[in-house]
Amino acid sequence: MGLQNEEKLELGCSSSQPRSKKWVLLTVRVLAFLATATATLVMALNKETKTLVVAMVGSTPIKVTLTAKFQHTPAFVFFVIANGMASFHNLMMIMVELFGQKLDYKGLRLAMIAILDMTTVALISGGASAATFMAEVGKNGNSHARWNKICDKFETFCDRGGVAIIASSAGLILMLIITAMSIFKLLNKPKSVSS
Amino acid sequence: MIKPKRLLSLLLRFIAFGTTLAAVILMATSHEKGTFFAVSYEAKYTDTPAFKYFVIANAIVTVYGFLVLFLPPGSPIWRLVLALDLVFIMLLISSISAAMAIAQVGKNGNPRAAWLPVCGQVAKFCNQVTGALVAGFIALITYIILLLYSIYNFLNPLFEKA
Repeated sequence: MGLQNEEKLELGCSSSQPRSKKWVLLTVRVLAFLATATATLVMALNKETKTLVVAMVGSTPIKVTLTAKFQHTPAFVFFVIANGMASFHNLMMIMVELFGQKLDYKGLRLAMIAILDMTTVALISGGASAATFMAEVGKNGNSHARWNKICDKFETFCDRGGVAIIASSAGLILMLIITAMSIFKLLNKPKSVSS
Repeated sequence: MIKPKRLLSLLLRFIAFGTTLAAVILMATSHEKGTFFAVSYEAKYTDTPAFKYFVIANAIVTVYGFLVLFLPPGSPIWRLVLALDLVFIMLLISSISAAMAIAQVGKNGNPRAAWLPVCGQVAKFCNQVTGALVAGFIALITYIILLLYSIYNFLNPLFEKA
């Protein structure tokens, strides 16, 4: 009697463990999706217009309106595209996890998820690093190349860019965790008995 | 007699090691003195933190590649090598991406921010930096091929039908 109860308890434990792992993975995916989506939106809507006084002619100042947009810098364009694709990937993976449990392709489902996660990590890391170094040049300038810093004039633009980069870095760390979990799932998957 | 699989893997790793070493050397030895309207200046890779990051990242991967070349085939450390390959691919991608972003501004300038292109004055420096970036790219692609190859070798036993 006692042994039978122990057996039932053990079976109960093993069947609930993959379910809690599945919910952990899903939660981290949702967080990563939110982080990359935030980064995409904040950078895509990053725009600041400023009117500067360039010169004085007599007593009337000549004003010049300058706009700082994210499209001016190819690094930021790449950043937006990379984070957009990463959010799309996370969204697809969440949908597949919730609604498409039966989707499979010659038993390669877990392998494809792991490989796609790795490519997304690569994409986010490329975008985040390019944007970080461009933002560093914008903030500090480069005296050797005579590039003036622009953050003292366009403070809001720089602040928003910084927030987007931080969000993308958080998304990158979360995606790394997700990739590790996917690879772990792949390597530990129960070997199916061939018919 | 070395198995062909091991020979292919060894060859790929040697190519990866060689190209990261080439990238480090090309970038680190790139400097040029020039004059710009009687103002003389020198362009070095240390002028930009992005190029410094590129050199450091590729140096780390070079040391790693060198150490992995001497790993005997049967040891269990190969699982760790698989994980480290992924981490170093990420490092390489981020270093190339950063260096390329700055190099693009150096070549084309950014008229909106009043940043003038500098490649006109220091053409030799720009060419050498381009060479280093190309070497970095080839190293990255080689490491990706190695990673896919390792995963394929690892997963193959799982797909064997009885």
